[in-house]
Amino acid sequence: MIASLHADTLRQLKIGTSWLRGVVGEALTPELVVDFACAFGTWCDGGTVVVGRDTRASSPLLRAAVVSGLMSCGCEVVDLGVCSTPLVSFAVRERGAAGGISITGSHNSARWNALKFLGPDGALLNAVLSEELLDIYHASAFIQAGWQNLRKIVSAPGVLDRYLDHLVAGLNVERIRAREYRVAIDLCNGACGSAATAFLTRLGCRVFPLNEEPSGEFAHAPAPSPANMRQLAALMRCLGADLGAAINIDGDRIGFVTNEGVPLSEEYALPLAARNVLAKEPGPIVTTYSTSSMIDAIAREYGQDVIRTSVGEGYVMDRAFAEGAVIAGEGSGGIAFPRITPTFDALATLGVVLEEMARTGKSVAELAAMLPARAMRKGELGAAPDVVYRVVEGFRKKYAALGPNTADGVRIDWPGAWLHVRASNTEPLLRVITEADTAERAEELFEEAMTLARRLAFGVGM
Amino acid sequence: MRRPLSLKIGISGVRGVVGDSLTPQLVTAFSAAFGAHVGAGPIVIGTDSRPSRDMVKQAAIAGLMSVGCAPIDLGIVPVPALQLYVRQSGAFGGICITASHNPIEWNALKFFGPDGILLRPNQAVELTDLYHQGVYPRVTYRDLTDVKEDHTAAVRHHRAVLGAVDVERIRARRFRVVVDCCNGAASRSTPAFLRSLGCEVVEMFTDPEQPFPHNPEPLPENIGALCNRVKEVGAHIGFVQDADADRLAVVNERGEPLGEECTLALVVRHMLRKQVGPVVVNVSTSRMVDDVAAEFGAPVYRTRVGEVNVVEKMLEVNAQVGGEGNGGVIVPAINPCRDSFVGMAFLLESLAHEGCSISQLRSRIPEYVIVKEKVDVSAREIAPALRRFQEAYRGERLDLTDGVKVMWEDRWVQARGSNTEPIIRVTAEAPTEDLARQLAAEAIARLQVGHNGA
Repeated sequence: MIASLHADTLRQLKIGTSWLRGVVGEALTPELVVDFACAFGTWCDGGTVVVGRDTRASSPLLRAAVVSGLMSCGCEVVDLGVCSTPLVSFAVRERGAAGGISITGSHNSARWNALKFLGPDGALLNAVLSEELLDIYHASAFIQAGWQNLRKIVSAPGVLDRYLDHLVAGLNVERIRAREYRVAIDLCNGACGSAATAFLTRLGCRVFPLNEEPSGEFAHAPAPSPANMRQLAALMRCLGADLGAAINIDGDRIGFVTNEGVPLSEEYALPLAARNVLAKEPGPIVTTYSTSSMIDAIAREYGQDVIRTSVGEGYVMDRAFAEGAVIAGEGSGGIAFPRITPTFDALATLGVVLEEMARTGKSVAELAAMLPARAMRKGELGAAPDVVYRVVEGFRKKYAALGPNTADGVRIDWPGAWLHVRASNTEPLLRVITEADTAERAEELFEEAMTLARRLAFGVGM
Repeated sequence: MRRPLSLKIGISGVRGVVGDSLTPQLVTAFSAAFGAHVGAGPIVIGTDSRPSRDMVKQAAIAGLMSVGCAPIDLGIVPVPALQLYVRQSGAFGGICITASHNPIEWNALKFFGPDGILLRPNQAVELTDLYHQGVYPRVTYRDLTDVKEDHTAAVRHHRAVLGAVDVERIRARRFRVVVDCCNGAASRSTPAFLRSLGCEVVEMFTDPEQPFPHNPEPLPENIGALCNRVKEVGAHIGFVQDADADRLAVVNERGEPLGEECTLALVVRHMLRKQVGPVVVNVSTSRMVDDVAAEFGAPVYRTRVGEVNVVEKMLEVNAQVGGEGNGGVIVPAINPCRDSFVGMAFLLESLAHEGCSISQLRSRIPEYVIVKEKVDVSAREIAPALRRFQEAYRGERLDLTDGVKVMWEDRWVQARGSNTEPIIRVTAEAPTEDLARQLAAEAIARLQVGHNGA
């Protein structure tokens, strides 16, 4: 009984590196959000904090709680309204703010929502800074500003234009404009709509937006993976446009559909963008243990290293800054260009991919075909955290002889194939990913792993 | 001794000091409890002009939304305008964020039911029970409603009040009026209201973005600037409101404050001249009202202190006018709450009808002097002190409606525990100041809390 209650509660709330995530109406109460906002306001020492929110129905509620908590610490709140996480990041840097909070459930379903915490550098809090924030929260040691130290809620007029200026400044705009690309974008009713259209217009593209109206009712699940790109792929086939792009709710992840109307796995976004970046400026690449090895081929082409970290933007970007990476990202379609944007940024990625098309004169289908053929299988097994832990430990023991990498769950490498098993950061489930030269091999490894996982978790399946 | 608490959760709402006890956590939880109490529907929310208004308001909005309420944000609004809006709009209830006449470091939530009236004591108890249980009926994302803003509350309020007075008669007099809004919630509304009554308005402290220029309680010691200004500009009358504009005090054309107790007595006299009927006031209100009512043969009912107690009795006995002696005029036909705009309108109408000055009007009601003292005590000392007090006056005529009130032919003294602070309020009224002070001093001595009395 107690065990199941425990598991039930944990299904509704996750406090991770750089964010607080939960189900609104369940564990993610306004009191909890106020407490966290107070902790963050205290972490920011009562300085200026930029706040943005996505289009979820629960985001205005969370915004009110966040603003109140921050103000009670004496923070000046810069309220950007509905906007993407990368725009919050830009505004933090532009204003020299002490931090930022993006209110967004990102790729999670509509019942979830979350706070993402950004530091003064505009990046998500790394593990160390997140610990500090949690310590303040747990101690309830909040700054309580007296009435004479309370500051106002202000806006940031023109910030979107300046953000777009910043993005295009890093691109060869003339070259892209000359191609007069036709681009279809699926915005999933998220926070990035007007920004995406304005951005593409600046790049001389003809824009065909899909699900652009901001709404808490998403047209489909928000993760930019092929399963959610059916609408966009159908539109692409009708239009015969040059590129289709699917952007998630808070504008940090992107996936592509080719000019032929074929949805590409979200794993393609990183290598497609990376070739362009490395061609202009060689440097190391940072990604996770779960990301496709397509990126290794590109790195080899340019004689660069791929450095892998635990999954999670906070970990990836922390390492990217340390290594002086020129591009960093995850297989989920979240990509950052550390010198331009310190958070995963879908629009920046879109610009880079368009520039690559313009630079090479190739279609996106041709660019994708140049990448090594790899087959990937991704799956998950829902289980309470203690069960997930038991399964991961079981994998570690089982493959001990192969010298598994245990930095984030268990990763085992064979020639031409790998398996990664890890606990999700955001949900109570086990993630299983395999990749191999052939679909058969990937499938075989995947089935083997899932069977083992089920047996370790529930004592069945073999 | 323990540090005195700055938090007060009682029948009049939740009150505390910002940066100390009135935290956003508390406000969020209490607002969720209020939403649970009145149900998931439209809830009107407004604030006075205190610098803490937005912090408190955002916390309240979060709490309300979390239980499925649809907040309607009126912005900075006089509390009577909010109360009227609640009643007219069919909202499920209202929250006004104001610490009324308290100093600027305080703020508070006042809760109103669907009739725009403060929660009755039994409802307030239910609300605090819900809060203490700490379990609220949260809704999921499908049942969340975003905030809607509405800036028509002031106009609706003006329309309601203007509809009840003889606007043409008042306009014809072209009164010159100085008004001190204390940079409070009525700073924008009052000058516009008076202009629509044809007044030439001299504004003082009508910028809600500025801090309070003086303690917001409309007592003579806080309104020196207004008095001077009335003389300077040769105004017919001066008005001062508290921060949420439910209370009103008056300055005569010579720049002399009439004392807040006069406001209600003057309005009662005017209303009884128009139509005789019962009058309801609280036990602490000046006996000027009794003398005025006696002149017209109108009965006077006295209730416990607190707006809701007076309003309840007014509705019960169908009184057309009543209120609280601290400058809170209530005319239920317009708005069943203390409303300084109602007070201003009827005072100007009274001047217009009688064709006289405010000091002449004042001279038509008897003179009394009221003395109000506070005695600091811990909560646990209040009841024994009041028992000693009652014992000391055994044999006199007593009224135990609220605390202990002792009455003689032309004077009275009362001791009662405050609803809002850990103090005993001692109020004495007599024909002269010396007599009133003497009564109060005697009364304080009889409380026998000597160490910090008076």
